[in-house]
Amino acid sequence: MTTKKDELTISRVIKAPPAIIWNAWSRPEQLAQWWIPRPMECKVLKLDLRPGGGFETRMREGDGEYQPHVEGCFLDVVPEQRLVWTTALSEGWKPIEPWLALTAIITIKAEGSNTRYSARVLHKSPEDSRKHEDLGFHPGWGTVIGQLASLVERRD
Amino acid sequence: MENQNAGLNAAFQALSDPTRRSVIAQLVRGEAPVLELARPFEIGLPAFLKHLSVLEGSGLITTEKVGRTRICRLEPQRLSETEAWLCQQRAAWEANTDRLAAFVETSIEKDEE
Repeated sequence: MTTKKDELTISRVIKAPPAIIWNAWSRPEQLAQWWIPRPMECKVLKLDLRPGGGFETRMREGDGEYQPHVEGCFLDVVPEQRLVWTTALSEGWKPIEPWLALTAIITIKAEGSNTRYSARVLHKSPEDSRKHEDLGFHPGWGTVIGQLASLVERRD
Repeated sequence: MENQNAGLNAAFQALSDPTRRSVIAQLVRGEAPVLELARPFEIGLPAFLKHLSVLEGSGLITTEKVGRTRICRLEPQRLSETEAWLCQQRAAWEANTDRLAAFVETSIEKDEE
């Protein structure tokens, strides 16, 4: 397990072949079903799976307006094996100022009849990301531990 | 520094399981007795107690015997803001991986029916 403060790796065996997992990532209607926690709704605006292709998802709660969620650019796409994208760039490798700069390296590898699914996520720096969070950009990413973090801040 | 990382690793390890994350989610709302925390889960009490002891070992929660019940509460102070932040990112990715796994595994089951 990584001990660096600006990156994380998670790894999981999923009971499905690589092709099925690739479909869940590469088909907009499938990605929309798991990418954002319910009851929030996800809309996949861009999922252009090629280097330089755009990646953009939006989310909404109830009948509200769709809010920005992730905007990024694919860097490397190897069907059923690897998907690399970053939020530091948008479609066509255009530099942007994201609310959270990250590069996600998703790898998919057959393990018997299952698949080893890994996500390695690189961040610019935790301090930098906190700054964005303080500005109120915290869409959908918030989780249990988000609540935990705010609890820490309240108590300190 | 090494100790700090060891603590962080224990916390990450503790949070790598959906049952334990769910316990943390319940405790964010306030302290609670063990039996009340165990109620939503379809696992036996001994298995649930194992999860609690992992959380307690990581320092994320503490438990205290009050009369005949054992009360659990969150102890998030040990995490610095930065650690809490990375913890949060990790939890978000763990959670989206949970959802991806649930999504593909149930779609396979449907196909097999």
